[in-house]
Amino acid sequence: MGYVWDQLRGAIPLIAHGDPYIMGLLWVTLRVAVVSTAAALVVGLPIGVALGLGRFRGRRTLQLLANASLALPSVVVGIGVLLFLLPQGAFGSLRIEFTLHAVYIAQAVLALPYIVALTPAAIQGLPPGLIDQARAFGAGRVQLGMFALREARIGVVAAVIAAAGATIAEVGAVIIVGGNFQGSDETLASALLEQFNYTGHDPYATAIALVLLAVILVLIGTLTVIQQRTGAVQFRFRTA
Amino acid sequence: MTGADHPAPGRVLLRCEHLTVRRGKREVIADVSAELRAGEIVALLGPNGAGKSTLLDALAGALAPAEGRIERHGRVGIALQSPDLARRTVFANVTLALAWWGVPRPERTERAREALRAIGADHLARRRAATLSGGERRRVHLARAIAVRPDVLLLDEPFAGLDAEVRSNLLEDALSALRSSTRATLVVVHDRAEAWALADRLLILLDGRLAASGSPRDLLERPPTVAVARFLGFDGSLDDGHELLLTRPAHVALDPAGAFEARVTRASPLEDGARLELELDQGRVYAVAPLPAPRTGDAVRIRIDGGARFPLRETSAQFETPTYPPATPG
Amino acid sequence: MKLIWDEIQRAVPLILHGNPTLFSVIGFTLQVALVATAAATVIGLPIGLAIGLGRFRGRQVLRVLANVSLAIPPVLVGTFLFVLFSPRAPLGSLHLIYTRRVVFVAQAILALPFVVALTAAAVQGLPPGLLAQARLLGAGRLQVWALALREARIGVMAAVIAALGVSLSEVAAVVILGGNIYDYNQTLASATLYEVNGGYYADAVAIAIVLIALILILMCGLALLQHQGNGIRLRFRSAA
Repeated sequence: MGYVWDQLRGAIPLIAHGDPYIMGLLWVTLRVAVVSTAAALVVGLPIGVALGLGRFRGRRTLQLLANASLALPSVVVGIGVLLFLLPQGAFGSLRIEFTLHAVYIAQAVLALPYIVALTPAAIQGLPPGLIDQARAFGAGRVQLGMFALREARIGVVAAVIAAAGATIAEVGAVIIVGGNFQGSDETLASALLEQFNYTGHDPYATAIALVLLAVILVLIGTLTVIQQRTGAVQFRFRTA
Repeated sequence: MTGADHPAPGRVLLRCEHLTVRRGKREVIADVSAELRAGEIVALLGPNGAGKSTLLDALAGALAPAEGRIERHGRVGIALQSPDLARRTVFANVTLALAWWGVPRPERTERAREALRAIGADHLARRRAATLSGGERRRVHLARAIAVRPDVLLLDEPFAGLDAEVRSNLLEDALSALRSSTRATLVVVHDRAEAWALADRLLILLDGRLAASGSPRDLLERPPTVAVARFLGFDGSLDDGHELLLTRPAHVALDPAGAFEARVTRASPLEDGARLELELDQGRVYAVAPLPAPRTGDAVRIRIDGGARFPLRETSAQFETPTYPPATPG
Repeated sequence: MKLIWDEIQRAVPLILHGNPTLFSVIGFTLQVALVATAAATVIGLPIGLAIGLGRFRGRQVLRVLANVSLAIPPVLVGTFLFVLFSPRAPLGSLHLIYTRRVVFVAQAILALPFVVALTAAAVQGLPPGLLAQARLLGAGRLQVWALALREARIGVMAAVIAALGVSLSEVAAVVILGGNIYDYNQTLASATLYEVNGGYYADAVAIAIVLIALILILMCGLALLQHQGNGIRLRFRSAA
């Protein structure tokens, strides 16, 4: 146990004094989380709502595909995006391979399945008559979408948090498209992985791990608080 | 079909004394004493929230009583309110229940077939539970409870949610299937008609307390308290200063030579007549009149035969629990 | 698009000629996936059932723990285990770091939360009246568990498939604990990472294609499962 304690003792001052390298990693991680999740939302939310509400042929198949896309390995996404961004690739002229922008794209692709698969699930969890009733009153497609989103907001928020969690936690894609050059496009998670290429058990590794753990716990805590809040509301209804 | 046509009830199979049951902080059942004897079918009646399901759960042993005691002679089987079946065939569901009960494997097939036949569900044996209609599902739910042959059978609203025709079919089949000289059956019903069709004896639960116990006919002729009378459909009341007279529509008839003057304040059409709301000086009563029926605003004369009388000072007491041991009817 | 096509063209002969290293990587990956999932199922299924069905103090806490453990990034799990198995640490005497055995252990631990949390959720989704009725008709604890497992079998199988998916796709813990040693303890996913970092894009694409193929097979299995579940409902609609 002394070994573990040593590690912790080396790590805490790094965090407490705001070591610039670690703070830089935290900053990159947060930016990736926000940008990639936002991009995934912009693309994925309309698709998810359409899947949740739609009554068209092949909806079931699309839903299945959406669920299956959750299983996409991060390394595969990384290679896919990299091949597009390499100089000889389709978007090679953008010259963003191995930069942070490439990381944004890759993580957004990883986050997308969470939005596209979990939003319809949330919408379909609504009382069946609710949407049909709105349709019967003449609500248009956009109105229906907004209505469904609002009613299912708890499930949608959970999907967003799950997506953000994925952008923070996944390393495979980040390392491949980002090249993991120090200082410019490492996230907390990818930097942590790289730490193990060095034989010295740096206090840096422990410090990064602790910060990453803290970020994830904050995320989980937010979700729990939201769920408790709504759970509390339901409880109040039952006793009233 | 009930009560007097069958041999007198046998030995006591389940008895509870001064039973009090709480859910959380709330007292749901208070000071309930009752007994169930072999051979009888007892119906437990009461409005929503009176505590019927809680009483059943306590008698089955699923809830621990806060006070009082329960005496059981034999095994108690209970069919819960929701007829949830396993996602298998109907036959498998019944044999599964027998397995839970501990019936040895060789006997299960025959017992399952017998129970399904008794309740008129043998044509459903091979169907998957997920494909059953509401009425069929309730039939299978009953079959399982019957198949295990408990000494005391508790049924929680076995006919809930069924439309009129399905319900009356099931009621008929249930009556013959439930009748057994060695078993005591307690059925929670929501509807008076079900109680009348099935039961030798009624227990009426109001606000967690046992308000009445007796045969359906006796309770209807002599309801013990005003609250019980109201619950049993005595919707009219006349107050002459000395006593309260509660009436049912069956007690009130239009009669030009009748003793009372009344005015029709409301007339609601029924299939074969009209339900009249009649205002008198002493109060208000209801009657069912054949066509052609008087209209709102008409003055009529009525005659009242029967009804339940209560001295006025008694009406402040909402109810009283019957004495224990229960007094013999009559 | 050109680059992608080039790489695929170079990759297919690699696969078809049965590069021996590739085959051994495939074999190792399958072994790890199957063994790790089996271990996670054997350990996790009873725990999931207990959480879903049990009525003991602290059950809610366990349930929250199970869900939280689902959200812990594999990178952190790998770091934590590395510290635990480090030569100077409490479990260091097991000499697991940089072996093949440790890959099995790591993936089993990563798969465990999926089995536990998803089984508990599947079992909790059952109609409560059914299990209560079984208990009240005399069913013992084992009989109730068997009933719940059978009734929730689709959800449980989905949990196992999710565990398999994770075992195939995750890289972080495998790399940290195993060291991603060429021709020794690489999985398909970690080998992809290795090849990309080395610049051998063709090999990386080859490995990625095999990985995608395996995941697709898994997804077909899941789709078949869902159809079985829907099949009953479809029959209901035609019978009614």
